[in-house]
Amino acid sequence: MRTVWTVMRKELLDLYRDRRTLILTLFMAPLLFPLLILGMGALAESRARTQLESTLELPVIGAAHAPNLVAYLGTLDIRAIDAPADPQAAIRDQVHEVILEIPADYPAQWRASRPAVVEILYDSSRQDSRIPVARVENALRNYSRRVATLRLLSRGVDPALGEAVVPGRRDLSTPEARRGMALAFLPYLLILSAFLGSAYLVIDITAGERERQSLEPLLATPSSRAAIMSGKIAAACAFGMFSLLLILLSFKLSFQFAGSGPFRGVDVSFGAMGRLLGILAPMVLIGTTLLTLISASVKSVKEAQSYMSVLMLLPIIPTVILLVTPVKSQLWMFAVPFLAQNQAILMVLRAEAVGPLQWLVYLGAGFGLGLVLWLIAARLYHREKLAISA
Amino acid sequence: MIEARDLHKAFKVKTGLVRAVDGASFVAGDGGITGLLGPNGAGKTTTLRMLYTLMQPDRGAVSVDGRDAAAEPAAVRRSLGVLPDARGVYKRLTARENIAYFGRLHGLEPQLIAARTERLVAALGMEDFIDRQAEGFSQGQRTKTAIARALVHDPQNVILDEPTNGLDVMTTRGLREFLLSLKTQGRCVILSSHIMQEVGLLCDHIVIIARGKVVAQGSADQLRLLSGQESLEDAFVRLIGSDEGLAT
Repeated sequence: MRTVWTVMRKELLDLYRDRRTLILTLFMAPLLFPLLILGMGALAESRARTQLESTLELPVIGAAHAPNLVAYLGTLDIRAIDAPADPQAAIRDQVHEVILEIPADYPAQWRASRPAVVEILYDSSRQDSRIPVARVENALRNYSRRVATLRLLSRGVDPALGEAVVPGRRDLSTPEARRGMALAFLPYLLILSAFLGSAYLVIDITAGERERQSLEPLLATPSSRAAIMSGKIAAACAFGMFSLLLILLSFKLSFQFAGSGPFRGVDVSFGAMGRLLGILAPMVLIGTTLLTLISASVKSVKEAQSYMSVLMLLPIIPTVILLVTPVKSQLWMFAVPFLAQNQAILMVLRAEAVGPLQWLVYLGAGFGLGLVLWLIAARLYHREKLAISA
Repeated sequence: MIEARDLHKAFKVKTGLVRAVDGASFVAGDGGITGLLGPNGAGKTTTLRMLYTLMQPDRGAVSVDGRDAAAEPAAVRRSLGVLPDARGVYKRLTARENIAYFGRLHGLEPQLIAARTERLVAALGMEDFIDRQAEGFSQGQRTKTAIARALVHDPQNVILDEPTNGLDVMTTRGLREFLLSLKTQGRCVILSSHIMQEVGLLCDHIVIIARGKVVAQGSADQLRLLSGQESLEDAFVRLIGSDEGLAT
């Protein structure tokens, strides 16, 4: 136990003396993440607002066939402009987001009180076109209903007959949960920070120490290898938790400053931050032990670092799976690494209570996996090859 | 006292099996300096690594002060002071912190570490750089720090891998005196070297290793007599059967 403490103190002192690395790893994420989140949020919001509220210039093919319709669109701030010569190319080249085509038989159909077809040309794969298309479609539907109502009234028919069932919607999601949807990427950032936040430190104190050839004298002391390794893991975990604390504080501050906007109402109380830290603690242990295991089994720092790109993808997998096949939150999920963290973080941010059984399963599975990885890493630390670098 | 009995160690490499050490036996007694002399790649470092329990011999056994190294590795390591081939001094710690770190890993109390450090600083002449961070240390300063670190727990047995490697004449002389003082304190000192004069000047018992085998051992006089050569260098060349990797 004394060895663990001695090694941990030495590694933290060693890291503390390496000021530049320390500052970069500790403060980069807490400064960048809020910028990223708030910047993205502000950008999306301002874009939506301009698209919804500004005048939409809509190229109309055959505007002359339906002057009434064009005038109606004008009242909704949709201004008809001349259509380009090649509408399909204009959409494809992203000159226009949406184009309305009024066919030549529109007046004839109109006069005969038959459904007159108009076409909306757009590219569904373009995110940009979503809001303008919805605006045009809504305007057309409203126009159609108005005219239809007038036609029925003029024939002495109650317009209500035309509607047998009126579906109404009641959204029962809590305001926090709705905002939580905007936070789908937040768990990924947090899990990644916990999982790999101290990665370079971990790689450095095992694979790096081996490469600098200082592991040989260290392992020639009577201290047990498991204790030396545990000291290194403890140092990396302490560092990881500290850097997470900074990240969470920066989230808290920036969400509070952000005030309104898509993130309003996200639970950033100190209680929630404490729960998040508790949720991420097993992740820190899993990441540190896994990287120690890798560092102890590879030949060089370079080889250890080449695992990083794969490891960075691991936390995305559950997010992607949930995106493709959304499933109800169930107890077993709290035992699956990454998926569990994802679920638990979202629950906390949406201000939902995590039950005692869920906590038990979650912490049991998380720390259990950490322990297994620790045991494997300890075995690898006993390999003869580990100490020999040249 | 350190005893090596018929040590064997082979490594698998791409081209097959390399027998790094292929039957090495010798005894290094207390109050004496034993030198492993051999050309580069003869198996000196591997032999030493087996002595300080970092490697398990494929065959044979090591005993230190009568304790079997395979059965009680921790106890054996406690009675050993080791200067490995790679010095491995921590750059961001001062020389004093480097020494204290190993003292604590040996379970020593801070007061004892401080007292021992003062003694070693005086004996090795480390006053100028003891409180400087090891970044930018000269080869000699690094070696001295590593030796002080290896001796902070006052071990009965001292194993040094190429201790004078890369040192200038003055530092080498100082180190030689230090090693002789360890001998007069009654310790068992083993060092490896490929430098003939070094070994001839320092060692009471010389073990000549070539291609993993002990080809001859004895005092410098005995070796000269054995080979029928006037100088130790000629004796060495004669005994290893070639002049590869030889430095004078």
